[in-house]
Amino acid sequence: MLDRSAVKFKIASVLQVQPELIVEEAILNELVVDSFILVDLVIELQEEFSCRLNQENLKSVRTVGDLIQQLELHRFAAA
Amino acid sequence: MTTKLNENELWLLSFYRTSEISGALFFGRLCKTLKSSAVQHDMSKHFSDEAHHAWLWTDCIAKLKAQPLKLADSYQDQYISAAGLPANIMEILAITHVFEKRVIRQYALHSRVPDLQPEIKETLSAIMQDERWHLEWVKNALQSMENEFGKENIEQALQRFLQADEEVYAKTMKEHEERVHGLGILAGR
Ligand SMILES: [Fe+2]
Ligand SMILES: [Fe+2]
Repeated sequence: MLDRSAVKFKIASVLQVQPELIVEEAILNELVVDSFILVDLVIELQEEFSCRLNQENLKSVRTVGDLIQQLELHRFAAA
Repeated sequence: MTTKLNENELWLLSFYRTSEISGALFFGRLCKTLKSSAVQHDMSKHFSDEAHHAWLWTDCIAKLKAQPLKLADSYQDQYISAAGLPANIMEILAITHVFEKRVIRQYALHSRVPDLQPEIKETLSAIMQDERWHLEWVKNALQSMENEFGKENIEQALQRFLQADEEVYAKTMKEHEERVHGLGILAGR
């Protein structure tokens, strides 16, 4: 199981925002206005939590909770 | 101080400068995030080249006695909104490959404009040397990822980004038609 609070903590640290702001319902595009930072965030989370996502997996992602769900679904078998 | 650039020229050089800065910031950020690897190594050089290109345009504009315009959106921002977010390193390199190709084509087109100021010509030719290497390392890196990501997936990603590239380029050209035609740069594919 992916540690959801660890992922949220990591998101807060990459985005340099208060961890309290990173709730499941938070809309990613509102947290990150710069799409480059969003790309970097997604890469950072995959490296940290041993997951592999592709564009298709991100299509339905709107919130922090959606992103965590995709990370959960696409973890490496060994992780 | 009398500038040697007309309004359209200053806009275009500022556009190039903004785009080089965005590229540098994007790759710089990724270099910090990626684990140590051959991709991280080459991307670090790529990052430093793009930062240097931003300086070359800044300096070129200064030599032509003007000041860079502050432009809002970079070309890369539009790319991501048209193509969707690249989600892994292969997709990032695929979008980079398509983008670098566009940059080379645009710079080559610009360098053929008759009676181009020598400062612009020199800047374009200095940058183009690096841009060729950018295309090459990205192409090699993508090839080396075929086992991990699948050749077909790489080709599909390139295709998707190519389509977005054509859309964004056509849109940008249309939006700035007057400026670009005023400079004698014809949209090429
Ligand atoms: Fe460049
Ligand atoms: Fe480049």
